[in-house]
Amino acid sequence: MIEQLRQRARELLEQGKVALVIGYGQGVSPRTTFPVFIKKAEEVDRLIFNPFCRNNLAVYLTRKDIMPKGAVGLVARPEEVRSVAVLVQEQQFDPERVVLIGVACAEPGKEGAACELLKGRTLKELEAEAAQGLQGRDPGRDVAERLRELEAMTPEERLAFWEREFSRCIRCYACRQACPMCYCESCIVEKNQPQWIPSSPRPLGNYFWNVIRAFHLAGRCIGCGACARACPANIPLDLLNAKVAREVKESFGYEAGFDHEVPPPMASFRTDDKQEFIK
Amino acid sequence: MARLLAKEKLGALIRGAMDKKYRVVGPAREHGIVLFGELSDPAALCLDELNTQNSVKEFFFPKTEPILKYALGKHDVALADDFAAPRTVLIGGRACDARSLVALDRLFGWDYKDKFYFARREATCVITLACDRFDEACFCTSLGFGPRAPEGSDVLLVPVEGDAYLVEVVTDKGGALVAELADIFTEGTPGAEKVAYPEKKFELAAIKPWLERNFEHPFWNEEFLACLGCGTCTYQCPACYCFDIVDEGDIHGGQRCKNWDSCQLALFTRHTSGHNPRPTQASRWRQRLSHKFAYYPGKFGYEACVGCGRCIRNCPVGLSILDKLVLIGREAAAAPAEPAGAQP
Repeated sequence: MIEQLRQRARELLEQGKVALVIGYGQGVSPRTTFPVFIKKAEEVDRLIFNPFCRNNLAVYLTRKDIMPKGAVGLVARPEEVRSVAVLVQEQQFDPERVVLIGVACAEPGKEGAACELLKGRTLKELEAEAAQGLQGRDPGRDVAERLRELEAMTPEERLAFWEREFSRCIRCYACRQACPMCYCESCIVEKNQPQWIPSSPRPLGNYFWNVIRAFHLAGRCIGCGACARACPANIPLDLLNAKVAREVKESFGYEAGFDHEVPPPMASFRTDDKQEFIK
Repeated sequence: MARLLAKEKLGALIRGAMDKKYRVVGPAREHGIVLFGELSDPAALCLDELNTQNSVKEFFFPKTEPILKYALGKHDVALADDFAAPRTVLIGGRACDARSLVALDRLFGWDYKDKFYFARREATCVITLACDRFDEACFCTSLGFGPRAPEGSDVLLVPVEGDAYLVEVVTDKGGALVAELADIFTEGTPGAEKVAYPEKKFELAAIKPWLERNFEHPFWNEEFLACLGCGTCTYQCPACYCFDIVDEGDIHGGQRCKNWDSCQLALFTRHTSGHNPRPTQASRWRQRLSHKFAYYPGKFGYEACVGCGRCIRNCPVGLSILDKLVLIGREAAAAPAEPAGAQP
């Protein structure tokens, strides 16, 4: 499988279809991987793929200091496919500039789990593969379980739960930096005239920050979990985002990242909107 | 004969300190991670992890701290400064953690003596555990010290055969605490030391000269593309000390806070005009490495890195400062510096 992956990358670079391939490379231990940036066909052997490839590489597609003038090849797990779908929906780049090399792992994080190259070549085809649940894999199994526990709490318990979790926030904004959807050139937390969000890592500002980020991701978060993995304080941000995603699904019947051709719910208006929030 | 502490007596040591009205800070498991925190019970001490997720710096230089409070009256401003440094025993840190305090002392005591920091330093007795293991992110020996170095500690506990620690009193403050809790220790002949030394991985002396000569080296743009700019490395670093000062308040009053900041964030150097002298993540990494291994040693004769490996273990994209130092070491060996005076 890895040989096929390298072959695809080699072809793209040799034929000049892309100027850069972003994929995964082997870290110092067998269970660590990290993003690699391949500019020459002879370097494609640095590419690997295994169950420990967990970073969402789509985060680099909106970084000006990384993106080449030409097109870029992206090793894309279902998480990247769905992220690219949202970024294309939000017109962050010309879809022609991103060539996807679809990959999937049957059980991410599990030693020896089967990995394969996806058949689809276009974003449309890969979206369809991602929507099929990817060879029986349920990407949100663990989050779904925790979401059930969260929703079983009373509002007071939920408030106490989040207050406790957010109390550890050090306001490093690693969650934002790891997130492909946090591409704003100027983040609200950095605005200081007025200072919308107090910058000290104390309860009020911590609450504002984490809740505002979750709201900004409503209908956009694809649930890759990069924020939770990047968080040095182990705050379950994936759970917070899953809760918001659930609300969006119930209100608008919409899940982010499965179809780049439909208008996103938070950026469109429909006359048949139930508008249930107006009581 | 030497002073010994049976391993099973660590809890008694903590209990003893609590009984003497010390606040005790040590590693404890919380929400799946091991963090330094105030211990309410000696049994909470958790030594499962080699290193905690957070560093000890927050007990001397908190992530947020009001440096003054103000209340606005009709014609005047009332200032208040209600700072207190509780008597503290900090137990369960490593030699690298203790050394970070010596590194921070240089900065906070260099021209203006930071009274908040030094009040806490003086009120805290640091009891360090020498390491009986290491992992691939550890590199204290490459920095010219090691897992049982006494620097920065008041008391050093060295694991020895026979489920005990050899107790080395390093400072008078440490001696006073040991004397206060004398009945917990025993006298005896220590078994062989069980201290694990990581292999030395690079030549420290070669790093600073290379950094000083290679500000524009392609290395910077090639090696750090993956960096997300999340700043986790700097927030978890025991020797990073950058902070920001902000006023938070309303028309009645407020407080002036000193909050941790990070050179890895774009906002750190962005000017009001919008211009940013460190425009890329590569330039921010260059700053981080150069600061730790060239500028800080140049000014204070001391690296602002202690080889604890937290930044390596916790980097979300697996970037390792150790790997980069090894690369620099190799580059430096392949292209040694010109003899002094030969450069323009």
